[in-house]
Amino acid sequence: MKKAPVAISGAGCLCAAGLTLKESFSAMLRGERNPKPPVAFSSSHIEKFPVFEILAPLPIPGSDVELLRTSLLAFSAAGEALADAGLEPEQLGQLRVGVCIGTTVGSAMNNEDFYRDFRAGDEPEMTAIDRYLRSNPAAALARRYQLDGPCQTVVNACSSGTDAIGLGAAWVRSGLCDVAVVGGADELCRTTYNGFASLMIADPGPCRPFSSQRKGLNLGEGAGILILESAAMLGKRGRQARGYLLGYGSAVDAYHLTAPHPEGEGLQRALAECLVSSGITAEKIAFINSHGTGTPDNDRTESRVLGKLFPDTPFVATKCYTGHTLGAAGAIEAVLTLASLEQQVLPGNVGLGVPDTGLPVHPVAENSAIRGTVGLSESLAFGGNNSAIMLGLEVG
Amino acid sequence: MTGLQINGLGLVGGFGCGAEDLQVALEKREAPVSRVNLRDHLFPLFQADTAALGNYLNKRALRRIDHFSRLALLGAFQALEDVGPLELNRERLGVIIGSGFGALKTTFGFLDSIIADGDACASPTAFSNSVHNAAAAHISMQLKLTGPSLTVSQFDQSLVSGLLSARQWLAEGRVEAVLLGVVDEYCQVLGYCWERYFGEQISSKMRPLDFDHFSAVPGEGAAFFLLQAEADCAAKYGIIDSVVMGQLWGSRPTLIPGQPLVLGCEGHPLNGGIYRQQLPENASVACYTPLYGAAPVTQGFDLAVAALTLKRGEMFPSADSGGDYYSGSVVTEARKVNRLTCLRYGFGGEYAVIQLKGNG
Repeated sequence: MKKAPVAISGAGCLCAAGLTLKESFSAMLRGERNPKPPVAFSSSHIEKFPVFEILAPLPIPGSDVELLRTSLLAFSAAGEALADAGLEPEQLGQLRVGVCIGTTVGSAMNNEDFYRDFRAGDEPEMTAIDRYLRSNPAAALARRYQLDGPCQTVVNACSSGTDAIGLGAAWVRSGLCDVAVVGGADELCRTTYNGFASLMIADPGPCRPFSSQRKGLNLGEGAGILILESAAMLGKRGRQARGYLLGYGSAVDAYHLTAPHPEGEGLQRALAECLVSSGITAEKIAFINSHGTGTPDNDRTESRVLGKLFPDTPFVATKCYTGHTLGAAGAIEAVLTLASLEQQVLPGNVGLGVPDTGLPVHPVAENSAIRGTVGLSESLAFGGNNSAIMLGLEVG
Repeated sequence: MTGLQINGLGLVGGFGCGAEDLQVALEKREAPVSRVNLRDHLFPLFQADTAALGNYLNKRALRRIDHFSRLALLGAFQALEDVGPLELNRERLGVIIGSGFGALKTTFGFLDSIIADGDACASPTAFSNSVHNAAAAHISMQLKLTGPSLTVSQFDQSLVSGLLSARQWLAEGRVEAVLLGVVDEYCQVLGYCWERYFGEQISSKMRPLDFDHFSAVPGEGAAFFLLQAEADCAAKYGIIDSVVMGQLWGSRPTLIPGQPLVLGCEGHPLNGGIYRQQLPENASVACYTPLYGAAPVTQGFDLAVAALTLKRGEMFPSADSGGDYYSGSVVTEARKVNRLTCLRYGFGGEYAVIQLKGNG
């Protein structure tokens, strides 16, 4: 059943490509990227798997001692998004504002130094645990802005950001809140770095989604936030929507803990729900922001599904500019999808090189003009989760 | 929005396994506290045993499934078994899991592989199972459920956060039923954290209505519910009428006068003061956390107690009678009830209110 669109009144993101949405998108259109071995931590791997790390100071005051970096990333993107929406922090306490944020690292009790000391029989100080307990991303945002609506941290692995947006939109649509701060945030972490290396799905060079030479992903970090708002609240504030969240769908493969279903069964059902809930037909979609991690399995599955359902729709894998930001990925990609719609241009898939001829469809290699007002963003995840959201510049 | 029918229960905790074991503990007003290893000494814990999962899955299927996911699977299997034949497409059954801390043992197990053998020897199996949504994935795979799946982590507000989404999914018609569960496990690191935070105070006797003194004992387990939208047919247990989560900095819980409260207090003075300040003077309260301990999963057990209460139409006597330390009205004897509220305050001013009613 078609669902009512939900207005997007503000957007913000930061990632290795830039500290704001404008900076990030401009860098992508210039084809810039610079993945390098991590600075924040070291590893003993022979291969120094490159990452997309934010090396500049975050545009938000705050101390790493008090909160996990994931929360600070969320604060940075939320600050940009709220300003974009014309919402002053002091206004928020007067409104019914929900917060729904996706993450992976931001909810994991995995401080390696703490555990190393514990394991050695020492009595580690509780600083790392205190920080973890203060840093649940949704709760930290609610506390920072004194938000009093529903509060949810989504931990659906790599589809968390996409899910958080779809779930937050439902809150606004149903009247559970007037405004929802939705998106995702994740920091680089040695634990996940070693984890993806152990699965042998990290590329020792810059990632190459959908390329014949692809060897895996590069991790990244960042946050993407959208401000969703009811039509009534938007009207009351005298603001215009920047865009609309038109639809959302999700489904699981029930196939494997880490690998996608080869035919993308869950993804196909998630996309079907997204299309129905948005009331948009496939030919109306101007482009797709794919999950496109650069792992052999993901890209094969995704290309098969896109080739089957959207054979003529251009698509891009923006992870070639941001790296895989895990719980933030879907949210950053949603924000970039909105930017592409607004500017009517799709960044080229940098590093594509020789496309994999075994795949039925391939992403755009160069910056490409798009025509249309609707874009789709999709995410696949560990656990067999698949999610998709439809964004548009018009009500639909 | 319509209410949520509770039509199936799946439980494993310190009280035992299944609704019957919880009911026995409720009637006896006690549950055993185990002593588990914590470095060189023993530590009290309401420990959950997943041996009964062998009734549902063979050893081969369980081979690579950790304790956290086993707890969740056991809860899920029981809840579906409890509801009986469910005539719906497995694509139309959603899964929602809430967890405060996720798969702690496996998370630290993954770090063990790195610390012991180096980065290059990190365990891929442990990494795959350490993600918070691993339990939901195992449930989907073992039960062939292919609808929407959501895992949330909101510490001790995880249940109510998940309930909001369950209600949303059912109201929107995304699914016909939701298998919602909360799960959390104990590990030695958690025990260490407890001792560092609470020191010598840890005992094995909880007195949660004593808001000024520490008496919490950690717990672990899983509480699962098969939820469906309110319909003409009666709910097996009861109906969740409303679900509210809020923050004391912006609002106060709206409580219905005269309706008994199932309190989620756990013997922590850190939030005990909030209960003391916020509870209406004439409120009739009961608290059952001495039967399953203190953990993010506890609110799930509170909801299960509320469901069992509505099914029999009678309150269970509070597991903490209030002694000489609680001056308010405590439910100390069984009494008829058709409506009640689960109320829980967090440590940072957050609160959760779940209002339930019987079939009428």
